[in-house]
Amino acid sequence: MTVVPQTGGGPARSGGSGNLYDVLELILDRGLVIDVFVRVSLVGIEILKIDARIVVASVDTYLRFAEACNRLDLESGSKSPSKLTDLVGDSVESGAHGKSKGALSGAADAVTETIQGITGRDSDDEAEDEDAVEEDEGQEETVERRRRPARRSSRRERTASREEE
Amino acid sequence: MAVYVYSITFKDHPLRLDGLDGVGAAPSPLRTVTAGPLCAVVSDAPEELRPKRRDIGAHQEVQQRLMSDGAVLPLRFGYIAPDDESVRFALKERADAYADLLSRLDGCAEYHLKASQDEETMLREILSESEAARQLNDAIRDGTADPDAAMRLGELVAQEVQARQETLASRVIEALRPFAKDVEPGLPGGADFLNVSFLVEAEQEEIFLATELSLAHQMGEGFDFRLNGPLPPYSFS
Repeated sequence: MTVVPQTGGGPARSGGSGNLYDVLELILDRGLVIDVFVRVSLVGIEILKIDARIVVASVDTYLRFAEACNRLDLESGSKSPSKLTDLVGDSVESGAHGKSKGALSGAADAVTETIQGITGRDSDDEAEDEDAVEEDEGQEETVERRRRPARRSSRRERTASREEE
Repeated sequence: MAVYVYSITFKDHPLRLDGLDGVGAAPSPLRTVTAGPLCAVVSDAPEELRPKRRDIGAHQEVQQRLMSDGAVLPLRFGYIAPDDESVRFALKERADAYADLLSRLDGCAEYHLKASQDEETMLREILSESEAARQLNDAIRDGTADPDAAMRLGELVAQEVQARQETLASRVIEALRPFAKDVEPGLPGGADFLNVSFLVEAEQEEIFLATELSLAHQMGEGFDFRLNGPLPPYSFS
């Protein structure tokens, strides 16, 4: 029987309770259900499900997009955007066909180094230890989403520079 | 006495649960109910159980502790049986199904991946690649556009966003699928365009993680990938 490492030294991105929010839907919506057992009331927790992203064909959505385009400062684009899809296309498709084994095994070579660099979710990512998940869900979500992009980008940069330099 | 049920394991699981608390404000000790080759981890149910962070955390910790020593079937949070006997009955009734499931999950972990895309990056991309969108946008800024131009631009952009993100999501999933035993897509929430769980065997964990990392790296700073794992296999139970 193979044991899957759980703690620090293993390849875990995050498995601790500090990141409960991202896996909350798994704990609450998935997992084995034994029909004859009774579920406790989840009044309040239902809020989480309403968060489902809906690409709505609605006036609001359209106008919001138009407004966002309007506000873009096209002169000071951060980088040429056109290559993103191509990059993904090339790397993903060739990976799927098994051609660029080099790319994947090259990545695997760097695995030990990069995996060691991937710590568990930063301690500063832990939301306060509130008791009531349902009451604070809105706040947590906002805080996590605001923080995450900056932090994740920097992690990517660190990883990238380690691989490239 | 009502019992809260956490997980199902094989009877020969080491079941090292020392130091762990069950659910409830004054948690009862974790114990087991056995039937045949199977065993359920339970605790006496508290008087009132509301889904607090503490209790959800306790539920999750039991799974993670069990997972480190062997196969575990995590139950969904919040399920209570009337008594030990009914748990025993449930174990007997579906013994083969649970045993099969446990064997399948043995040595595997769930990895849950979500991703979002920076809206500005995405809009720049669309405007740069769609002449129709660019022209509409320019006209609106110039003040030379029709009154309904914003709606038309918005609709065009919305369709582009939808199409591109669906393509991206499926590319990510297909790139990782070869390294997973099973895949369970979910419904992306909030700003996310990707929400998917993978069941990954220990032997493939390294290549799976390397591939995900490589993908995220290649897709660049306009994307935010959040990978959680190794997790108890809720999505494959």
